[in-house]
Amino acid sequence: MNGFGALAPLLIIVGAALVILLLDAFLKKDNKNYLACLSLFFLVVCAVFCLRSWNKNLSYFEGQLRLDNLALFLAFLFLIAVAFVMFIGMKYLTLQNVPGGEFYGLLLLALSGLMIMTSSLNFIVIFLGLEVLSVSSYALAGLKGKDEKSSESAIKYFLMGSFASAFLIFGLALLFGTAHSLEISAVLSSFRANFEGQLLGLVGLGLVIIGFAFKISLVPFHMWTPDVYEGAPTPVTAFFAVGPKAAGFAVLFRILAPYWNEGFKSGRIFDVLWTVAALTMLIGSLIGLRQKNIKRLFAYSSIANAGYMLIAVLAGDGASLIFFLTVYLFMGIGAFGSLIALSKKDREYTDLEDFAGVGFKYPWLGAIFSVFLLSLAGFPPTGGFLAKFYVFVGAVRQDLTSLVIIGVLTSLISAFYYLRIIVYMYMREPERDVDIEIENPALFLVLFLCLYGVLQLGIFPGNVLYVIRQAAASLF
Amino acid sequence: MIPASYFFLLSVVLFVLGIIAFFLKRDLITQLMAVEIMLNAANLAFLALAKSSNFLDAQVIVFFIITVAAAEAAIGLAIVMLIFRQKKSIKTEDMRSMKG
Amino acid sequence: MELLFVFLIFGLLGVVLLSLNALLGPKKTNPDKEQPFECGSPYLQDEIKPFPIKFSVVAFIFLLFDIEVVFFFPWALVFKEMRPAALVIMLAYGAILPAGFVYAWKKGAFKWD
Repeated sequence: MNGFGALAPLLIIVGAALVILLLDAFLKKDNKNYLACLSLFFLVVCAVFCLRSWNKNLSYFEGQLRLDNLALFLAFLFLIAVAFVMFIGMKYLTLQNVPGGEFYGLLLLALSGLMIMTSSLNFIVIFLGLEVLSVSSYALAGLKGKDEKSSESAIKYFLMGSFASAFLIFGLALLFGTAHSLEISAVLSSFRANFEGQLLGLVGLGLVIIGFAFKISLVPFHMWTPDVYEGAPTPVTAFFAVGPKAAGFAVLFRILAPYWNEGFKSGRIFDVLWTVAALTMLIGSLIGLRQKNIKRLFAYSSIANAGYMLIAVLAGDGASLIFFLTVYLFMGIGAFGSLIALSKKDREYTDLEDFAGVGFKYPWLGAIFSVFLLSLAGFPPTGGFLAKFYVFVGAVRQDLTSLVIIGVLTSLISAFYYLRIIVYMYMREPERDVDIEIENPALFLVLFLCLYGVLQLGIFPGNVLYVIRQAAASLF
Repeated sequence: MIPASYFFLLSVVLFVLGIIAFFLKRDLITQLMAVEIMLNAANLAFLALAKSSNFLDAQVIVFFIITVAAAEAAIGLAIVMLIFRQKKSIKTEDMRSMKG
Repeated sequence: MELLFVFLIFGLLGVVLLSLNALLGPKKTNPDKEQPFECGSPYLQDEIKPFPIKFSVVAFIFLLFDIEVVFFFPWALVFKEMRPAALVIMLAYGAILPAGFVYAWKKGAFKWD
């Protein structure tokens, strides 16, 4: 069904970004919190529009922009993620001297990129969305302009990201050569019909997957992740861990799930991705063991989690993948939010040693952070446990048992480094003097909401699962 | 008349040269140029494949890629400027304030 | 065939003239004569050194605005077929560009220092 409603959410977000940037440039106020409130207003309006188009399958621009249920659900997730990131960033911006107007404006632009990526079935539109996301992400990573680490992370992210984009676009050219169209369905049917063009198309699809693998940090394309996560301002890191990863996996799933269904499940691409998933989980959990910086540790944790998500993609199990992404949103932002709570003016505490004794000094913060860590490690009754459980069960049904065994083993290994933080917080005498800025209501609101999300999804996931199944069903 | 497949081969060669330059060169600006060469190789590939198959949609796609490349170049150069102001160097071996 | 002779004759002539010059000509040199450009003005410096470019931000902004105009070409081609919609789309597009310009201006991108 063709309807302007399909364009409305995107228009609202882009308009909001422009308004925020211009307002900031004209008013030049020192306190930027009004920008966060204004952005939140726009996000809520956008969410209302998204809710109203549920089950309507709207499309615009002759079907190039398609708001099916999957796109709507993901858009909703992204809206929540960006709202959370804005709130955990509010105080951080003033404490660490990050320019506020750019932070909110670029986040909104990145959000529009995420929404474009997930609501199209045309490769070139997906590519454009990815670029909108990437270009604003490069700027976001370097937002702490005076800090050398921040600009270094920006240049690393930029070089790796644009290198990956070049692969992606060259792969698209090859796919265009075989299929003469860049609709996902046309490309896949050309694979079925055309056997002599197979090699060209296969290389093309491979290059496209490499392009996405960079963005979602699969091994061996993960080298940039630890440095970027460490150097970028922490709220931005939280966004990187959640947003681009979810969108990248959603797109990968949109491409690959029909591809498996075409009967290519024993093909070369499947085998390569199988190995990549195993390597990603292993590297993510093994190298994470020797990290002393918590932000780097979370980078390896996010690499390991990318491995679990890839298992769901390989199994063609949409519902589990989306459930994993949903849970990961809450626990990822919760964990990074707890890190942000542990900071004061011009100083962030991100070393493992800084956490010694924090559990007794700040009991509430310690308890909340522990829940997020337990969830990341995959302990019941948190959402992290159920997310991994569903992914593994779905994979066993699809005869991926050996991959599941690797997954279980690596999550045991990675549980060690999550638990080590808890041990430091509760069983070590404090060696360094850590005192933090406690007056931060927006941050604690987000931490509380994330905590609620993690527990709700871990104990009563029924309603959310029902909605997710509806969303995943819109794929086929 | 030069056949379209020659252009395609040229684009593949350019793309590979871009990859090699990206890994061999040790300063940020040259790496940025390598990426631009790769993007332009993709443009050439699109045009060659469009020419050989008479599907002209590719020419519009090339417009999109050109704009994307420009946006990336602008932000990349801006970040390199930022780096240069802080470190007075744009060599990759000086980019090591983070280790782990 | 004739072309080959032309090349041969003039090529030989060039070689003969140059070698005659080297054999018979006087060989008095001085450092100024050895320079690649004998125009009399001294070199500025030995190598290319980094120099401040105050207008770099203007250059970036020009780069972006310059490329955005590329979309006017396909738009002009289909304008006749989809007149009202095309006009609205291009107006929206044309509104975003000045917004960017005003933003850059207000942020002080065009200040000279």
